[in-house]
Amino acid sequence: MKKRILKLVLVVGGFTALNYTTAQISDTVATVCAKHFENIFISDGQQYRALLMNTDETAEFHTTLYGGTLYRIAACSGLRDGNLIFSVYDTDRNLLFTNSEYKNAPYWDFKINSTLDCVIEAKLNGATNGSGRAVLLIGFKQQK
Amino acid sequence: MRLKFITVRGTLILLTFTALFASGCNNSNKQDADDLPPVDTTQTTILNVYGEIFSIPSPFQTALLIKRSGAVFSKDLVNPANKSSHYSTNFVKALNLGIYGADLGYVTIYGQTQDAIGYLNSAKKLADDLDVLGAFDSQTIARFSKNLGDKDSILVLVGDAYRSSDAFFKSIDRSDLSRLVLAGGWLESLYFATNVYKIKQNEDVKRRIAEQKSSLRSLIKLLTPFYSQPEYTEFIDKLNDLSKIFDGVEFKYIYEKPTTDANKKLTTINSKSEIEITPKQIELITQKVKSIRSQIVE
Repeated sequence: MKKRILKLVLVVGGFTALNYTTAQISDTVATVCAKHFENIFISDGQQYRALLMNTDETAEFHTTLYGGTLYRIAACSGLRDGNLIFSVYDTDRNLLFTNSEYKNAPYWDFKINSTLDCVIEAKLNGATNGSGRAVLLIGFKQQK
Repeated sequence: MRLKFITVRGTLILLTFTALFASGCNNSNKQDADDLPPVDTTQTTILNVYGEIFSIPSPFQTALLIKRSGAVFSKDLVNPANKSSHYSTNFVKALNLGIYGADLGYVTIYGQTQDAIGYLNSAKKLADDLDVLGAFDSQTIARFSKNLGDKDSILVLVGDAYRSSDAFFKSIDRSDLSRLVLAGGWLESLYFATNVYKIKQNEDVKRRIAEQKSSLRSLIKLLTPFYSQPEYTEFIDKLNDLSKIFDGVEFKYIYEKPTTDANKKLTTINSKSEIEITPKQIELITQKVKSIRSQIVE
């Protein structure tokens, strides 16, 4: 009986530690990503995460961008820049921007003249061996 | 007997390697991302969200707009900070954590430093009650105190704290609570806008009210997976009632080609949007938001 309890404690403890470790890795990627805000962009208070198993998978983020605002979108996977390709579309599927045309830049700024709903798609860069954990952050500051 | 021995030993080995792996990740000389082990999807706690992920705009943005519109500060708009001890369930605590976040942004933007300290403490209290780790820690509080009076820095700090809370809830598989925080913040910002508009009709504020149509739909989508839970049922039903009022708001989008300055890493979105919302719709939205909010903050 005591051995069974010991085994159970060890197994649960092992899986808990592994889960905590995986979450730590995501938090590390997010911390690296957040540095692109340079302490001047205000976070929208959310961290968007997706697990992309291969370069065919795409994560889709739906958001509203307000007019009169400057946004910075930072998109990361792993600790190196360039692992994640992100593209911004309006709801009519017009491509507004893709970082694949700019060396997979890890962040980009968007000056919004008039409020719009948009979709941000993120996928792994096939040329690098990214971790598969995609993190997207959105920050803003008022246009003066 | 041999099988039992292997099982115990195997578990010990698992625990040992996991501990070593965790300490390796925290090592300041850690290897590059490519050296990280592959993710075992059977163990991961990262949300693997197939399909769509929805974002809700920060309540700070509406507070900034309100300030820019020329509206004066009104303490009547915010939920008193000393009510944080009144909330007993995690459901209400999470919603009010979001509400207090919006309030903190509002008082900060209006330079109400003492009030800001009070709201930070209330947010921290609720975050502590919800066992949030790392978001409102002593380091954050110290940085907040150091930057009092610097609105931009405070807003950055608070935004980061809420992002940390969001990430924490998701990491412990409590995305329901992170979504409630978003809901509380969103509701409070719409409460600000509708009440400010009642006093002084400003076109930008009116437009911002109308623009919540889309965010409300996203919010409902975020919360609907939890509909079967009794506390959520009534709340989501009320949001759906509010959404029906917004159904009548007309939103027209006209695409124009964006322009990009690669050197500045800047793309200007030139597309335009037009909104039509009637005074009656605004009045109905104002009443409904007030009603929903009062049940949460009381």
